[in-house]
Amino acid sequence: MNFKKIFIIYKKELLDLMRDKRTVITAIVIPIVLYPLLMIGFTSLMIRQESKLEKQLVDVYIQDNISDENSQRISQALVEMENLRIKAENEYYENMLEDNFIQAFIEINDSLSTSGYHVFKVTISYNETNEKSKMAFERIRQKLYEVEKDFVTERLSAIQINEDILNAVDIEENNVAPPEQMLGFLLGKILPYFLIVLTLSAGAVVASDLVAGEKERGTLETILVSAAKRIELVIGKYLTIITISLITVLLNLFSMYLSFSYIISQSGVDIAEIQLPISNFVLILIAMIPLLTLLSAILLSISTYARSIKEAQSYQMPIIIGGMMLAMISIFPAFELTYGFALIPIVNFSLLFRDIMMGDFELSKFFVVVGSTIVLDIIAISVSIKLFKNESVLFRTVEEKSLKFWGKEKKNVFSVQFVILFFIIILMALFYLGGTWQAKDLMNGLFKTQIFIILLPTILVLRISRSDIKKTLRMNYTKPINYLIIVLMSIPVLLLAAVMGKLINYIYPVSESYLEGMKNLISVEDKSVWFSLFVVALVPGICEETMFRGYIINAFKKRGFWVSIIITAVLFGILHLDPFRMIPVTLLGIYMGYLLLKTNSIFPPMIAHFLNNGLAIILGNYSDKIPLLNKILEEDDISIWMALPSLVILFLLLKLFTKMNTNSIFVNNKKYIDS
Amino acid sequence: MIKVKNLTKVFLQKNGEELFAVNDLSFEAEKGEIVVLLGVNGAGKTTTMRMLSTVLQPTSGSATVEGFDIIEQPQKVRANLGFLSGDTGLYARLTAREIITYFARLYDVSEKNILSRISEIASLLDMSDFLDKKIDMLSTGMKQKVSIARSIIHDPPIMILDEPTVGLDILTARNIIDFIHKCKNESKCVLFSTHIMREAERIADRIVMIHEGKILAEGTWEKFKNETGLHDLDDIFVHFINQSKEQEEELDEL
Repeated sequence: MNFKKIFIIYKKELLDLMRDKRTVITAIVIPIVLYPLLMIGFTSLMIRQESKLEKQLVDVYIQDNISDENSQRISQALVEMENLRIKAENEYYENMLEDNFIQAFIEINDSLSTSGYHVFKVTISYNETNEKSKMAFERIRQKLYEVEKDFVTERLSAIQINEDILNAVDIEENNVAPPEQMLGFLLGKILPYFLIVLTLSAGAVVASDLVAGEKERGTLETILVSAAKRIELVIGKYLTIITISLITVLLNLFSMYLSFSYIISQSGVDIAEIQLPISNFVLILIAMIPLLTLLSAILLSISTYARSIKEAQSYQMPIIIGGMMLAMISIFPAFELTYGFALIPIVNFSLLFRDIMMGDFELSKFFVVVGSTIVLDIIAISVSIKLFKNESVLFRTVEEKSLKFWGKEKKNVFSVQFVILFFIIILMALFYLGGTWQAKDLMNGLFKTQIFIILLPTILVLRISRSDIKKTLRMNYTKPINYLIIVLMSIPVLLLAAVMGKLINYIYPVSESYLEGMKNLISVEDKSVWFSLFVVALVPGICEETMFRGYIINAFKKRGFWVSIIITAVLFGILHLDPFRMIPVTLLGIYMGYLLLKTNSIFPPMIAHFLNNGLAIILGNYSDKIPLLNKILEEDDISIWMALPSLVILFLLLKLFTKMNTNSIFVNNKKYIDS
Repeated sequence: MIKVKNLTKVFLQKNGEELFAVNDLSFEAEKGEIVVLLGVNGAGKTTTMRMLSTVLQPTSGSATVEGFDIIEQPQKVRANLGFLSGDTGLYARLTAREIITYFARLYDVSEKNILSRISEIASLLDMSDFLDKKIDMLSTGMKQKVSIARSIIHDPPIMILDEPTVGLDILTARNIIDFIHKCKNESKCVLFSTHIMREAERIADRIVMIHEGKILAEGTWEKFKNETGLHDLDDIFVHFINQSKEQEEELDEL
């Protein structure tokens, strides 16, 4: 690697980009012109709107059903209010409220009083969705509190009691947070989101131009035949993306700081008092750089893979949206920077930013955040370099894309494209339909989900494609001894899954209500064990295995033994729509995929699936009655100790199982063929 | 000089079948010689040239450019060759001078020499008027001149030109032909590809006909005429194709 060449490339790319309107606008003009204008404009508009609402004349109608001396005092007090007009009597007040002809309707009634004192029941009808009506309601309520206070004072003095008797507790608010911490708290919540979104959007524009753009304009080959090495080209381009993103971030920070100062000075607070310590910004910058370089490397990889700028942009979309969602985490107060979160990119920065801004962060976590991001960073940039050295990526030609999924050809439904589409549709159906069904009635909903969303569509696809269902699903005979081994393996598998669940729970603690929900699923309190076993173990065992190990796995056949098992298992993990269970479920998926391909029969994974879910139900409900089991499941240290022997037993059993099934369908681990 | 030995490139197609884009190709090109790779579209000309310019890795076989191996010393190979193709793009937002300077620096031409070299080439190609204009503003002919300037800025001993006249008008194409003759006079080694028979006929010292990745025939235009008794290069080309088909059929029968 020659640093002089990298610098030459870097300089040229910057010059080129600085002459590109798109880059200049997104990276420079928008942050320094648009955001301050929007921010200041929006704030002043809001302030003005609010004061305008307060001064607005509102029309109300008062209906006094008592009309005695005291009740008239109430209506009189309202009549004297500023910017409030009493309308003539009208019995259609509800319609008038709806039509915003009046903003509030006040009805004064008698109410029962148990202690001999008179109580007025005043009903204020208003329209919450109408800003003007809401404001009227608040003003009237405030006025009525004052009137009430007058009444109380009078009543107390009538029986010669000092009104001070009401002041039993005198609350004085004393916020010890120094002003800079308050500001830091506010900024810490929203700034990380802005920074990440801006980095991504500026980086995306630059990255898509740098490689995909060169492909589109035909300049890539020219540069590849020049004396520069590919690694020098990648690094030069990479530094360019980082530089532009960094410029955007710094400009944004600067313009945001000025806009905030402007807004604060407008609101009358002395800005000199709330200077944020500069060291905080330095720390944030140190933490920001690895993240920025990581995002740049990802965007560069996408751009290298894409054939055109347009294609690069469509691949960037999910990254940008995903990044935005992860960045939002700092807005939610419930999330704290734990070591588990410190390992997740973007989330970790977002939370660390908040902690730093509040002047309250742990150095060890800071290093975990920076360190883990750097590790990912190195992985991402080496992917970029690898892609850039891959000639089939650089000279990717436009593929013919066929949308004729439903054609008569049998092959089509087993294409990767179709299977992924199928999977996404099922996932959406599960999310929208299944969720609704299960919310209504958990057990019934689960059953319906398995049958109508998972099993039937799979069968339907196979039927329409005229595949041989029995052959595709591998409904083949397998040796009885296999079932025996699977039954034996189910116990260590379940224990390992439980330990894994505990481990994940330890790293990413989940809420009580979530655990409660999971328990409800396996507890049989109000239903019979048989019913639970049927709905939660037997039906999923058949339906989910049919979809994944029966159908989906076939699409990845060409990619080899392990790849097809793992991809199918990951999809299986995703389908459970639960990030916390994703890893254990995926591992189970791998286990079941292995059973399938080793025996070439769908029945072993179905049985294994059934046993896993079924045992979870039985253990969940009967562990109280068996003290040893209870100990294993409840006590942390014991269950960790269980992991090792379980692993050994599982390993030995798997070895035996593999040995029993060696005369199988595989040529080798890379390729396997259907019998 | 260029020495190509048993060069083969196999692409894996989407349907899993292997495509022999270049199949066991061997030929040589001497210093001061213009060798034309002649073949229809898809014959394997571009793939061959991309392998020689080290952009693609050969599946098997090897080649040396100016004595440097294309697999072992790709850096040295690229430093010694000028590459020009019909669809090489230029950076639209940069000026002609900026682009030429950029490539000169990548080729390690010293800063001192860059200036003199640019003015030398500019007067040679008559491009002084638009040297400081952005590429966006230039006509196709002007752009082609910038591309030529870019490819020879480091004065390479080898020129590889992949259908450089494709899509050009007669005058601009003529510029290229003149340029190729100039290269020959400077005793550079020129490898030129085209699918236009007349072009090959006019400039080639030697013609290498390739078809479906394989060499169909090799030699001078005179030799072809004498061998086949035909006078038109189109006819000669078709003659060789038919001949190779017959040979294949004979092989199949055996």
